[in-house]
Amino acid sequence: MTAEFKPASTAACETCPVHQSAYLMKLGVDMQNWDYAVALAGNPNTGKSTIFNALTGLKQHTGNWPGKTVTRAEGGFEHAGLNFKVVDLPGTYSLLSTTVDEEIARDFILFGQPDVTVVVVDVTRLERNLNLVLQILEITDRAVICLNLMDEAARHGLKIAHRSLARDLGVPVVPTTARSGEGLDHLVRTIGEVASGKIKYSPHRIQNLSPALTSALDRLSVHIENLYPALPNARWVAMRLLDGDERITQALEQGELGHLSPAATNEPQAIQNLESQPA
Amino acid sequence: MVSVLTIPLIAIFVIVAILLLFRPNSGLFLRWRNVRRKAKQILLEDALKHLFHKENANGEPSIQSVSKALQLSEDKALLLVSIILDEDLAVWEGNKLRLTASGRLAALKTLRAHRLWERYLADKTGFSEDEWHARADRAEHILSASDADALSAQLSHPTYDPHGDPIPSASGEMAKLHAIPLTTADIHQSFEIVHLEDEPPAIYAQLVAAELYPGMKLEISERTQQQVRFWTNGDEHHLPTHVAGNIYVLPFPDKRTARDIPKLRLADLKPGQRGKVVALSPACRGLERRRMMDLGILPGTVIRAEFVSAGGDPVAYRIREALIALRQEQARLITIQPLEEKNDS
Amino acid sequence: MEKEKTLTPSELLTMAEDLRWQIGGNIHEHLVEGIYTDASRIADRVVTGERPKFDLDRAIDRLVTSRVWGIPIMILLFTLVFWITISGANIPSDFLASILIGKIYPAIKEIAFSIGTPWWLVGILIDGMYLSTAWVISVMLPPMAIFFPLFTLLEDFGYLPRVAFNLDNLFKKSGAHGKQALSMMMGFGCNAAGVIATRIIDSPRERLIAIITNNFALCNGRWPTMILLAVIFIGALVPAHLAGMISALAVVSVTLLGVLITFVMNWLLSRSILRGEASAFSLELPPYRPPRILQTIYTSLIDRTAYVLWRAVVFAMPAGAAIWLVANLTIGDLSLAEHIINLLNPVAVLIGLNGVILFAYMLAIPANEIVIPTVLMLTVLTAGVQGAGAGVLYELDSQAGTFELLTLGGWSLLTAVNTMLFTLAHNPCSTTIYTIYKETGSVKWTAIATLLPLGVGVGLTFGLTQVWRLVEAWL
Repeated sequence: MTAEFKPASTAACETCPVHQSAYLMKLGVDMQNWDYAVALAGNPNTGKSTIFNALTGLKQHTGNWPGKTVTRAEGGFEHAGLNFKVVDLPGTYSLLSTTVDEEIARDFILFGQPDVTVVVVDVTRLERNLNLVLQILEITDRAVICLNLMDEAARHGLKIAHRSLARDLGVPVVPTTARSGEGLDHLVRTIGEVASGKIKYSPHRIQNLSPALTSALDRLSVHIENLYPALPNARWVAMRLLDGDERITQALEQGELGHLSPAATNEPQAIQNLESQPA
Repeated sequence: MVSVLTIPLIAIFVIVAILLLFRPNSGLFLRWRNVRRKAKQILLEDALKHLFHKENANGEPSIQSVSKALQLSEDKALLLVSIILDEDLAVWEGNKLRLTASGRLAALKTLRAHRLWERYLADKTGFSEDEWHARADRAEHILSASDADALSAQLSHPTYDPHGDPIPSASGEMAKLHAIPLTTADIHQSFEIVHLEDEPPAIYAQLVAAELYPGMKLEISERTQQQVRFWTNGDEHHLPTHVAGNIYVLPFPDKRTARDIPKLRLADLKPGQRGKVVALSPACRGLERRRMMDLGILPGTVIRAEFVSAGGDPVAYRIREALIALRQEQARLITIQPLEEKNDS
Repeated sequence: MEKEKTLTPSELLTMAEDLRWQIGGNIHEHLVEGIYTDASRIADRVVTGERPKFDLDRAIDRLVTSRVWGIPIMILLFTLVFWITISGANIPSDFLASILIGKIYPAIKEIAFSIGTPWWLVGILIDGMYLSTAWVISVMLPPMAIFFPLFTLLEDFGYLPRVAFNLDNLFKKSGAHGKQALSMMMGFGCNAAGVIATRIIDSPRERLIAIITNNFALCNGRWPTMILLAVIFIGALVPAHLAGMISALAVVSVTLLGVLITFVMNWLLSRSILRGEASAFSLELPPYRPPRILQTIYTSLIDRTAYVLWRAVVFAMPAGAAIWLVANLTIGDLSLAEHIINLLNPVAVLIGLNGVILFAYMLAIPANEIVIPTVLMLTVLTAGVQGAGAGVLYELDSQAGTFELLTLGGWSLLTAVNTMLFTLAHNPCSTTIYTIYKETGSVKWTAIATLLPLGVGVGLTFGLTQVWRLVEAWL
C-alpha cells in the first residue's frame, strides 16, 4: 500500500484488484473511480451498520438491490491514497438456504469477488456467528473478521483470545467496539493489506463432515479444479452441487464459474459473456 | 339525472366486458373451450396411473377396475380403455391390461409430476398435509415434463416425496421401495418408517393425527388381529390393523430402541431448565427447518429455556448464546434429553 | 495420483447426482451439522470466562416481558410516543401552515399576476400544485419528523422485538406474526412506512398479511379528519363540558375498530387466499444497547421521513393540478366536478355519504391530508355559497363555520359517522399503493391490498346506513 503501487489493469498480477466489475455493475455497484470493492457481511444485530457508518461516514447512499426489496447501502473511504468502495450486504445467519437475503449476499461474494469481505461478528454470540464465517471462508480467502462488541463481551465477563481465533481461521481478526470507534483504524489498515493481496491467506476449511461426504467432496472438487483451474473455491462449489443448489448448478452449466478468477477480470471477452447472461 | 358522462361510461363498460370474454389468449370463452379439451387428457393420465399402480401391486387391471378407480360408468371406462389401446399405451394380456413401454413412461411422467408437486407443497408452501394429495392430483396434469424438471431443480433434486415414495427421474427410473407393511413386521425389532400411504385420505388423516412421519424410528410391542401397538420417540401408539397396514417400514439396525429415546420435547422445559437436542421432527419442514438449523438447533445443541412472553406463548430460549423466541408448536417438534440444572443462576 | 480427465460441466452434474445417491441421507443437514461442529470447537477454545451473577439484560427482560407488567409498560411507552408526537407536532405544523399558506401563497400569486401570467396557469400551478403540496407538507412533516426518530430509538434500544414477543400469541391466533404489531405501529405514523416496516417479518405469508392489512392502522394523514369530524359532529351532541371527552372517545373507538378489523382480516386472509404461502416463525431477541441518539435522529430523518415525504410530494403535485382543473373546467353550465358529483350521488347515498365526499376521496388518493380541504372546496362549489374558497383548497378557521358549511352541504350525524368509518377503511393513498407494489412486486397483491379496505369501508357504511334508516323510520 505504498505510493508506487497502483492497481494496474494487466491480467494475472499479484496485487491487482480481483473484483468482477462487470458483475458488480449489473448489481448497480459502479466501480469506476474506485480501486477496491469491500463487502460487509454478518449476522443480523451484530452492529454491522454501525461499522458501515463508521467506515464510510456520511459518504453513503441507500437504495434497493436491483429487482429486490432488500435495502442496500453503499459508501466509501480512502486509505493510503486508494479508494475503497464498501457495500453493506443483508444481515444473514447463513448462506446455505434460499431466502432472498442469503442469495444476494452469496451471489455478491461468489460472483462479484469483492477484494475484501469483512465479516462483522458479534463476539458475545461467537459460535452462532462462526457458522456464517466458516461458510464465507469456503468461498473467499480475502476476508477480515471484525470481532465487534468487545465492550459487551467485557461487560458479560467474557475473555476472547482473538489471536488464537486468527490462527484457527487463517485470516486476520480485528477486535473492535464500533460504538466508540475502538479498533476501527486497525480494521481499515487490515482491509488495505488484504485488498493489496500481498499476503496470501489459507483460511479454515470445514473439517467435521461425515467420511462419505468428505470423500465425495474430494472426488468432485478434483474434477471441478480440472475444469476451472483458476476457481478459488472448488470445494465450496462441490458442496453446493452435492446439496443440489439450483443457482450454482446453473452457473456451472452456463459457464459463469469459468469467469471467476483474478486472471479473467479484465479480458473483454469474459466480460461480454458475463453481460450476456440472463439476470 | 342523466349526465353528459353517462354515455362514455357505458361504452367503456361494454368494451371491458367484451375484452374479458373474448381476449385472444386468455379470454373466458377460450378458457372454457380449453377446459373441455383438457378433461379428456386428465382422464387418460389418471387411467394410466391406475394401471401402473395396479400392475405394481400385482392386481388385475381391467375395464371394471378403471371404472371403479376413476368413478366412471363402465361405458365411459370402455371408451377410455379403447383409446389407450388405440394409442398403444397398453395391451390385453389375457384378461389383464398391461402397460406398454410408452404407456409406462407416460404413467411415470404423471407420477413424477405428482410426487414433485407434493414435495414442493411440503417444502415451499404452507398447505397442510391433508391437502397435498388432492392438490398434486390437479397439478400432475398441468405440469409439463420441462416444468417438472425445473421444479425438481428448484427443490434441489429431491429423491423422495414427503410420504416417502420415490420420485421417478426424468428418464423414468425410480428407486425400488422394499418396505414392508407394519402389519407384517417382526415384534421387538427396530424399524424406520419409510412410507405412509396417502390413499384413502381418511386413513392418511389418522396417520397424520398420530404425528407419524417418514424417517421416524419405531418398535412394535404387540400385534393382534385387531390392532398394532408400537413405540416411537418415547410415545406408545396403538392403531387398528387396517390403519397400521398403510405404514411401510424397513428394519433399522440400532442399539438404542425407539422406546429408549427420551420423550421430552423442548416445549416441556420450564424457564431455567436445560436440555440437549436429540432430533428435529421430520414434521418440521422446508423454510422453517432450515431456519432452525441456521440458528444452530441441531442434534447435540444445548438449549436453555429463559423466560415466557407476557402473552404466555413464545418462550425465549438461549441457543448458542443468542436469545431466540420459539412458539410452543415449534418447540414441540424438537426432542431433547434433559440435562442437570446448572447452579449458576 | 494420476491426473483424471477433464469432465464437461454436464458430466460433472451427473457425477454430483450419482454421489448424492451414494451418500444418501440429507446432505444439507450433514453440512450444517459439520459446520456447526467446527464452529463450536473453535468458539470453545477462543471464549473463556464466566458470566457475572447479575445480568442487566435479563433483569430488563424479566420486567418488560412479565405477565403483570409487560403489557402496561408497553401501553405506557406507546402512549408517551403518540402524546409527544401529537402535542409536539401542533406548533411546527401551524407554523409551517402560516408560512407556506398564509404568507408565501398570496405573495407568489400576486407576483404571478403582476408579471401577467394567464389566470389558468396561475390556477394550475399555484392554486393547484403549490397549495396542495404546501398542505401535505405542513400536515405531514412535523408528526413524522417526531414519530419516526422516537420509534427508531425504541428499535435501537432493543425494546421493539420484545413487543413482538409479548404480542405474538395474540397475533398468532389470527394467523399472523408478532412483528406485525410493529409494522402496524409504524402504520399509525404512515402506511407507506408501515408497509416497508414489514420487511422485518421474514416469513412470506405473515409478511403479506401485514402488508395487506396495514391500511387499517389509521395513519397520520387521516387523524386530523377524524378529530375534526368527531369534535364538530359527535362532541356537539353532548353538553360542552363532556364534549372533549366524548369526541376523544369517538376517535379512539374508530382506531380500535381498525385494530379489530386488522385481526379479523388477518384471520380471513391466512385461512383463504394466503393459506398456501410458506410460513416460518423466528424472532431473535437482541441484547439491549444504549441507543445512539444523534445518529438515530439523522438516519431516521433521512431514511424514513424524507423518503415518505418525497413520495407524497411527488403524488400531491399532480393531484393539486387535477383538483384545480375539475373544479374550474366547465362543460355546459356546470363544472366538471359537479358533473362527476351528480354521477356519484346515487351510489354515495346508498352508503350514507354524498357525491362530494366520495369524489373528494377519489381526488385525495394521492394524499389523505387533503380530504377535508377538498370536501370544503367542493361543498362551496355545489352548494353555491359565495365567497372565498370557490375552486381552491381551503380550510375554515372556526369549527363552527365548518359545521355550518357542511350542514349546508347536506351533512347529518350519519354522514359524519360514515365519513369517519370510510376514512378508516378505504383504498390506501397512492404512495402506499406504490410502496405495496414495490414491496410485493405483484399486481395481484397490490390490487387486493387496495380493494380489500375499500370493500370493508363500503360494507361498513352501507350496513350502518341501512340499519340507521330502519331505526329512524321505526322511531
